[in-house]
Amino acid sequence: MPDLLVSARGVVHAYGDRRAVSAVDLDVAAGERVAIAGPNGAGKSTLLRMVATLLRPRAGSLTVMGEELPKGARRARMGIGYLAHDPLAYLDLSPRQNLQLYADLYGVPDAADRIEELLDRVDLIARAEDPVRVLSRGMNQRLALARMLLHQPQLLLLDEPHASLDASGTALLDAELGAARADGRGAVIVTHEVERIAQVADRLVVMRAGRVVADEPVAGRGPAEIRARYEQVIA
Amino acid sequence: MSTATNHPRWTRQLAGLVRKDLRLELRTKETVVAMVLFAVITLTIMQFGFGTRDDDLTRFTGGLMWVTLAFTAVLGVGRSYVAEREQRVLDGLLVSPIPRVVLLAAKAIAIVIYMAIVEVVVIPLVGIFFVKGPYWDSIGWIALVALLANVCIALSGTLFSGLALFTRARDLILPVLFLPALVPVVIAAAGATHAVAAGANDMADYRGYCLFLVAYAILFLLVCVATYDAVFDD
Repeated sequence: MPDLLVSARGVVHAYGDRRAVSAVDLDVAAGERVAIAGPNGAGKSTLLRMVATLLRPRAGSLTVMGEELPKGARRARMGIGYLAHDPLAYLDLSPRQNLQLYADLYGVPDAADRIEELLDRVDLIARAEDPVRVLSRGMNQRLALARMLLHQPQLLLLDEPHASLDASGTALLDAELGAARADGRGAVIVTHEVERIAQVADRLVVMRAGRVVADEPVAGRGPAEIRARYEQVIA
Repeated sequence: MSTATNHPRWTRQLAGLVRKDLRLELRTKETVVAMVLFAVITLTIMQFGFGTRDDDLTRFTGGLMWVTLAFTAVLGVGRSYVAEREQRVLDGLLVSPIPRVVLLAAKAIAIVIYMAIVEVVVIPLVGIFFVKGPYWDSIGWIALVALLANVCIALSGTLFSGLALFTRARDLILPVLFLPALVPVVIAAAGATHAVAAGANDMADYRGYCLFLVAYAILFLLVCVATYDAVFDD
C-alpha cells in the first residue's frame, strides 16, 4: 500500500464551460481521514468522483492508490470503496444478490462467508432475501455500507455517508471510519454535517466555488469550534 | 489491512453480470415478454397485410422474419441499460475494477439469450403464417442463421446502446444509430433463410450469407474492443 493514497496537483474539472473544480491540491495519507465540507456547488462531490475514477481531470495530475489516473484507473479501483448518494444496488435484486454481484466484480474470495458477515454487521440478515425496492432508505444506506466494505478497500470515499442513517447506523459507520484509521486505511468524507467532523476526520478541507479555501487538522477541536471556523472560512 | 482481493478474473465478472441480468429479467419479465408480444403482433399484422392464407408468401419468408426480428431487437437493445440508468447503479459498476468490454460482453450475451427466446416463437410462427412447402425440414439451418445474426445484433446493439446511454435523447438516438447498422444483418440473415426455406436448399448462397454474418460479428467485436473504454469514459 502506498504511503500517499491520494495525491492531486492542480486538478481541474468542468461541466461544459462551468468549472466545478479549479486547480485543487489534495493529499490523503494512509491512516488519514479527510473531511471535505463546503456549500452546495462547491465542487466537493465532483472532486470525490474524480478520486473515485468516475470523472477524468481536465487538467492537473491525480494519483490514487499509487496509480496515475486515468491510465492506472483499473488498478486503482481495486483499492477503492465508494459510498455515493445512491445505494448503487439493483432494486429488484435482494441485498444478498447485490453483494454477490459486487463480490464477483471484485473477485472477493470466500464470497458467501464475507457477505454473511457483512449482512450481519450492518444488521440486514433478516431482510437479506427481500428485494432492495422494499427496504427503507436507511436500510439501503446500510446495504451501501456493506457493498463499500465488501472487498476490504484501502481507500474509502464517502459522499454524505450519514444521510438517512438512524442512530445505530451512524454508530456503525463511525466505528468503521475509526477502524479505517486504526488499520492504516484512508478515507475522504464529503459532508455537510460539520459538527460531526471532529468524530470522523483528522483533517478538514473546505471548498468554495471549486477551490480549496482551507486545509487544516481538526485534532483537539470540538464541534462548535469547527463550525465556527467553517463559517468563518466560507463567509 | 490489505485489500482482500487480487485482480479478479474477467470470467467471474462476466458470469456475475450475466447472472444479474437474467435474474432481473426473471424477476421483472419486462423485456422478453414485451419482445415476444411485439414480434407476434408484428407478424400477425403482416400476415393480414400481405394477403390471405391462400397467397404463397414463401419467397418473402426471410425478409418478413428478419424485418420483424430487427425491430424486435431495437426494443430489447433499447432496454439494455434501463435498470442501471433508472436505478442509478452504473457508478457502482464503473467504480469496480471491471474491463469495460466485459460490461459489453455481458449485455451482449443477455441480448443473444433474449433474441433466442423470441426466435423460438417467431421461427415456427413464420412457417405457419407464410410458408407453403417443406419449411420444417430447414429449421436447424434457420436456427444457425439466427444464432449468427443474434451475435451480430447483440454486438452492434450493445455498442450503440452504450453510446446512447449518455445522451439526453437516447430513445431517439438508439434506433437512428442501430437500425442502419442492422441493414447488412437483415439482408444476410434474410438471404440465408430464403436459401434454405421452402426446400430451396441453395447451400452455396447459405454459406456465403453465413460467412458475411461471421465477418460482420468479427468487425463489430473489434470495434467494441477498441472503443468501449471510451464509451464509458466521462
